Amino acid sequence: MPIKRERLVPEGLLLLRNNILTKGNIFGSSAKAKWASDLGLSSQGETLFFAGCGYQFLDGAEATLSAVRALDKRGLAWERTLGMTSFLNKLGINLGELYGKLTHRARLSDNPLRNAVEVLQGMDIAPGYLAEEEPCCAAPLYYAGFQEEFGDRAVETQRQLQARGIKKVISMVPSCTYTLRELFPRFLTEWEVEVSHFLEVVWERIQQGMQFRLPLEITVTYHDPCVLSRNLGLIEEPREILRSIEGVDFADVERNKEEWSTCCGGGGGFEVIFPEVSHILAVNRVKELLATGASVIVTSCPGCLIQLREGVKELKEEGVQVMDMAQLLRNALPEK
Amino acid sequence: MSKLRAYKKRLQEAARDPQISIALERAIASYRKNVDEALKKFPHTLKMAEEVRQIKEESISRLGDLVEQACEAIRENKGEAFVARTPDEALEIIDGIVGSGKLIVKGKSLTGEEIDLREHLEERGNEVYETDLGEYIVQLLGIKPMHLLAPAIHVPKEEVAKLLSKVTGKDIPPDIQAEVATVREILRDKFFRAQVGMSGANVVAADTGTLFQIENEGNIRLSSAAPPVYIALVGMEKVVPTIEDAFKVAEVTWRYAGYTVPAYLNLVSGPSKTGDIEKVTTYGAHGPKEMYVIFLDAGRSQLAQDPVFQEALYCLRCGGCLYECPLFAVTAGRFGDKYFGGIGAIWTAFVTGDLAKAAPLTYSCLSCGRCKVRCPVEIDAPQMCLELRKRIAEGS
Repeated sequence: MPIKRERLVPEGLLLLRNNILTKGNIFGSSAKAKWASDLGLSSQGETLFFAGCGYQFLDGAEATLSAVRALDKRGLAWERTLGMTSFLNKLGINLGELYGKLTHRARLSDNPLRNAVEVLQGMDIAPGYLAEEEPCCAAPLYYAGFQEEFGDRAVETQRQLQARGIKKVISMVPSCTYTLRELFPRFLTEWEVEVSHFLEVVWERIQQGMQFRLPLEITVTYHDPCVLSRNLGLIEEPREILRSIEGVDFADVERNKEEWSTCCGGGGGFEVIFPEVSHILAVNRVKELLATGASVIVTSCPGCLIQLREGVKELKEEGVQVMDMAQLLRNALPEK
Repeated sequence: MSKLRAYKKRLQEAARDPQISIALERAIASYRKNVDEALKKFPHTLKMAEEVRQIKEESISRLGDLVEQACEAIRENKGEAFVARTPDEALEIIDGIVGSGKLIVKGKSLTGEEIDLREHLEERGNEVYETDLGEYIVQLLGIKPMHLLAPAIHVPKEEVAKLLSKVTGKDIPPDIQAEVATVREILRDKFFRAQVGMSGANVVAADTGTLFQIENEGNIRLSSAAPPVYIALVGMEKVVPTIEDAFKVAEVTWRYAGYTVPAYLNLVSGPSKTGDIEKVTTYGAHGPKEMYVIFLDAGRSQLAQDPVFQEALYCLRCGGCLYECPLFAVTAGRFGDKYFGGIGAIWTAFVTGDLAKAAPLTYSCLSCGRCKVRCPVEIDAPQMCLELRKRIAEGS
C-alpha cells in the first residue's frame, strides 16, 4: 500500500515535497526574485542564470532552520507546526518578524546571487534570469524518494527551458547543478542543455588571464560542498580560484578536504529531519575549518553557508566570517 | 512515524553525549593513522582491492552454486554443513546441535547478532560467554554493540574497571593492562570447560570449504579449537570461489580495518584429526571432534538477484566507512540497527525485510559520499540509500 509506506517518509521531507508540488519551490513562499528587482536582468537569452531555491530564500531558510532547531532541541514535533504560524507565535517565535529582521539586516550588497551576477557582468557575461518563472530543479523530491514525481517535474522544466530556447545554464547551487547536469539525463530523453557551475565559468576566465584583487589581505579557508567535490568533481577549481586572488592567503584544511571533505551536516534533507543533530555536525565541521587559522570560511553552496554560519554562531567565533565564493569574488572584482 | 520519533530521540541523545564523540574522535584519528600506514607499507593493497571487487561481483552472481560447493567441500572434510533460509531455521539447527544446559564460548559475530543468537541460546538454558573483549563488556553491560569491530568503542576504562570489579568481587583498577589480564583470567577456564565453541567467518573458500577468520585477541582461535564441538554461523555472501580468492579478500579486509597484519588468521576446514597411529584417520585430536557450518540466507539470495542493491553484498565488514561517516562520529551504533551506517540501512532492509525498520536509517544518510571514498570495493551506499527511499516513498 503506497499510502501506508508514505508514512515512513519523514515529515520534514514531505513538507518540502508539498511546497515543490504546490508552489514550485522548496520553501513554499513567493517573491523569490526580490534580490534582482533593480538589476534589470533580461528574461531572454540562450544562457540562463539559474539562481536556485537555496540562494533565493537564503535569509528565510536561515531563520526557519534556526527556529526549527530551537523547537527540535526541546523535543517538539515542529514538522506539524511549521505551517501553523499561530502555534509558532504561541511559542514566542514570530516567523514573519524573523524573516523581516533578517531581510532587513542582510544588505542586498551582500547577497551571493547579486554578487555572482555582478561578477559575471564584470566578465562581460549577461545571462538571462527567469525571476519568478525560474523552475525548481526539484532535487528534494529525488532525495526524499519520490523519483516519479521528480521525473515529471524534470519533463516540465525541460519543456519550459526548451520553449525559451535556452542552450546553456550557469547554475549557482551545487545540488541544482548536479540535478540538471547528471540527474536530468537519467530521467529525460534529449536533454541537451549545457550546465556549468558558476565556479567553472569564473575559473575559465581566470585561466584566460583575468585577475581578481582584494583591497586587503585575509586568510581564507575553503569548505568543499559534498555535491561539488564528490559528485561533480569540482575540487581543484575553487582552490585555484582562491590561490589566484591577490590578497587571499589560502589555508587549506589538513585532511578533511577535497574528496575527504567533511559534510556540513546538511545533506540529503538531513537538516529538515534531524535539525539538532545536523547543528552538532555543523559545529564539528567549523572546528575543522578554523583549525587552519583562517578568519574567513569560503564555500559555494547555500546549504553549507547556513550550516557553517550556525556553527560559527554556536562557537561564538565573532571574528570569523562565512561567505560565499561569489561574495569574495565580488569584493575582489577589478574596476573596469 | 512513531518509529522515526523514537529513533530520532536515541540519535539526539547519542549526539549530545560527549563520551561518545570523544571516544569516536580518538578512534577515528587512530584508525586513519593505522590504515594510512598499513596502505603505505603494503601499497599493493589498492590494486588487490580492485581484484577483490571483481571476486565479489563474480561470487554474488553465482551465490547459490558457490554455497552448495562450499557445503560439499566441508562435508568431504568430515564437517557438517547447512543452509538456513531464515533466522528461525538457523536457530533450530543450532538448537539441534547444542541442546540446553551447555557452557558455550563464542567469538564476536555480526551474523550471530543479526539473529540474536546469544539471547536465544541463553533463553534455552545455556551459559554463553562472549569472548571478544569489547563484546564481553557489551554483554556484561547488557547493551547493544556500537561498532562492528569495536563494540564497546564508547565505554571508557573507568567504567570497564567498575564493571569487572563487580563481576570478580575484587577491586580492579582503571588500568587497561589490568583489565585485559582480568578478562583473560575469567575466560581462561571457560574456553577449556566449554562443551561448544562458536564463531563466524570473514571469508569462506568454496573449493576447499575453508573458513577464514581474522582476529587479534586469539579468542576465536580458542573458541574454535578448545571445545569438543565447534559451530560456525556464516552469512552466505561470504563465500568466494577459491582459497586463493579468499586470501585476497582476507588481506584487503584486514588492511582496510586498519591493520598491516592481524595477530591471527585462522583457517578452519574441518574437525581436528590425526593419522599418527597406523595412518588411520581419527577425528577429534586436540581440536573439536565435530564441526558444523551454517550458512545463513535471510534475504541474501533475494538481494543477490536485485540489480540495484546487490552491491551491498560486496561489503567486507572492514568497518572503514563508519570511521568516515560524520553522523557515526557523533552517534556511533545509534545510527544503525544491527548493521550500522548507510550500508547498514540497506542490510537492515533486506535481512529483516522490514522497511519500517530500515526507513529511519536510510533517511539518516547525509548522502555526503565519504564512505564510498573509503570503501575498498567502492560500494555506493549513499546512492543505494536514495534508491531505498524510492522504494519506501513510492512503494515500488
